Amino acid sequence: MLGDLAEIVAELRQSRDIIHQLTLRDIRIRYKQAVFGFAWALLLPASVVLAGLAVRLAFAYVSGRHIAMNQIAGMALKAVPWGFFVGCLNSATPSLVSNKALVTKIYFPREVLPLGSVLAQTFDSSIAMVIVAVVLPFLKVTASVQILWAPLLLALLWILALAAGLFLSCANLFFRDVKYLVQIFVTFGIFLTPVLLDAAMFGPTGSRLMMLNPVGAILEGLRLSVVEHHSLLETVRAPAGFVVWQPAYLLYVAVIAIGGLFMSALFFHRSERRFAELV
Amino acid sequence: MTVSRIVFDHVWKKFHRGQIHDSLRDLIPAVANRLLGRGENERELSEGDFWAVRDLSFEVMPGQCLGIIGPNGSGKSTSLKLLTRILEPTRGHCEIFGRVGALIEVSAGFHGDLTGRENVFLQGAIMGMSRADIVRKFDEIVEFSGVIDAIDTPVKRYSSGMNARLGFSIAAHLEPEVLIIDEVLSVGDLSFQERAFGRIRDLTRSGIPVVMVSHQLERVAELCSSVILLIEGGVAAHGTPREAISAYVRQADVWRAAVNSGLIVFDSVSLSEESVVSGERFAVLVRGRIPNPIGEQIEPVRVRLRSLVTGTILYATGSQGLRFDIARVGEFSVRIDLQANVAPGKYLVEVIAVDPAAKKDVATYPAIMLDVQSPGDFVGTVQLNASMSLLEPIA
Repeated sequence: MLGDLAEIVAELRQSRDIIHQLTLRDIRIRYKQAVFGFAWALLLPASVVLAGLAVRLAFAYVSGRHIAMNQIAGMALKAVPWGFFVGCLNSATPSLVSNKALVTKIYFPREVLPLGSVLAQTFDSSIAMVIVAVVLPFLKVTASVQILWAPLLLALLWILALAAGLFLSCANLFFRDVKYLVQIFVTFGIFLTPVLLDAAMFGPTGSRLMMLNPVGAILEGLRLSVVEHHSLLETVRAPAGFVVWQPAYLLYVAVIAIGGLFMSALFFHRSERRFAELV
Repeated sequence: MTVSRIVFDHVWKKFHRGQIHDSLRDLIPAVANRLLGRGENERELSEGDFWAVRDLSFEVMPGQCLGIIGPNGSGKSTSLKLLTRILEPTRGHCEIFGRVGALIEVSAGFHGDLTGRENVFLQGAIMGMSRADIVRKFDEIVEFSGVIDAIDTPVKRYSSGMNARLGFSIAAHLEPEVLIIDEVLSVGDLSFQERAFGRIRDLTRSGIPVVMVSHQLERVAELCSSVILLIEGGVAAHGTPREAISAYVRQADVWRAAVNSGLIVFDSVSLSEESVVSGERFAVLVRGRIPNPIGEQIEPVRVRLRSLVTGTILYATGSQGLRFDIARVGEFSVRIDLQANVAPGKYLVEVIAVDPAAKKDVATYPAIMLDVQSPGDFVGTVQLNASMSLLEPIA
């Protein structure tokens, strides 16, 4: 098992130029012949924030309370990582099948195809993330030392996205059903993940269920640390008194992300040799 | 440092005909069986399986060029895919020692929306070139491809010929320790084909191990030091280009069907020399017998010369045309003298007996390859045996 992993790492080290070129290709073709070009990298997460705003306005009307600035800030902060994760699933899942000509004709480590998709999406989302960082102060978010949690959480999200991308691209090669399952997840996942709403809004049981979704836990952790200045090593309670965050979530997410990457890399590597026959 | 070489050791490859899993109804029992360890033996044939490559072994050392020929679906490309690790052998072992350059599907990595320049870097990286190598050879690659004017145009606007030329040029500038070539000799127009062939010839003669697959038998005969003939995945012949190509032409009936009516039996056909300089003479020696008396209309010995490149008959003559009388019954042994007034290249000599009235062959003998050498400065397609002499000065 460790032998396989060492092999993957060695192959990827030798494939730096391919990874670079494939990522560049994915970035370049993404917005070719699109009038708005790279503005789409911002317009897509912005539309998520707008949708969230509409939902929150409806909530505010029903409950008779105003929307606080930091609620909008929380949404903007969560929309970009969510867009990143969804974008990775969307582009990595078909990455092997859509490069069929390469998979059946030329040898190179196949891991570079989903990896390239994830890296291209990382580039895209980084642009949006920088903009969000610029906008947050205007939404009355002040900086605190807790902002240092953000890089760790984003790194875990990246690992999680790569793990999912590796597994799904491989699974999609064997069973094209996967593509449709991913579409369903991407469409409905936003309702099952605290993106537009905060976990606390689902009540004690609901919030705990939301946190079972590792993406949900990462997004909520981001909001709690960056917007609300909570340390993630402490238990955080909602105004109503129930627990919305506990340090164990951090460990849970790390185990899922890193363990998931190990498992999917292994799965990918072991089935790699049959790709050309089954694609 | 290990010597770069290609090793194929008793390799078998199984393929499956038809759909793999038609539906969940087939899939679930198959997965369940595998999980329970009751699955059929992966290394044996089960229903619907066949061997695409069976028990293939060879070794190619530096300076050697191995050709693989055979009809469509005989396992040639599969063998190369096994070599390049795209497929895994069902049984046996194959390995390449050294950095591989593969001239296979040379523009597979191109993306239509990217420019020629961007695609050179992309395809080069996919084929295993480093960025620095590509930068260094970029001008050379573009120059060779002849698409300089269009290098900053998206390749979706390229003609298919330009596409293939650019792809070939990238592949041709790899600096491999081991070279694998699959049917890329017919890229682009005639002048580019010549250039591409010259490049491949240089590469094959640079002292690295080479394996090539081609239907262009003439090219195979020219480049390869040994040739394997594959039929239905198995080795049907393995030897010099002459032996393997003759075996191919003989068994695969590329251009004609073997006929053996029993009216005439050819016991042996041979050439006075297998290699002759263009314009010189050679002879075809034919021994045969006619078991029972045959009619006057049948021509018992007819000789045809066929081009190996195009498959067309260049010349034919026979006992009737030559007004030579072969006895209508009994054994015969004749010699037909010919002058090789053709361009240097590879030709097939075929001996047949025909019934001109019924317009059909009544007996055939396996074709023999004739190698016509260049006399030095040959230009053209026929040999007119020119000579020059001094005229008496005009007073």
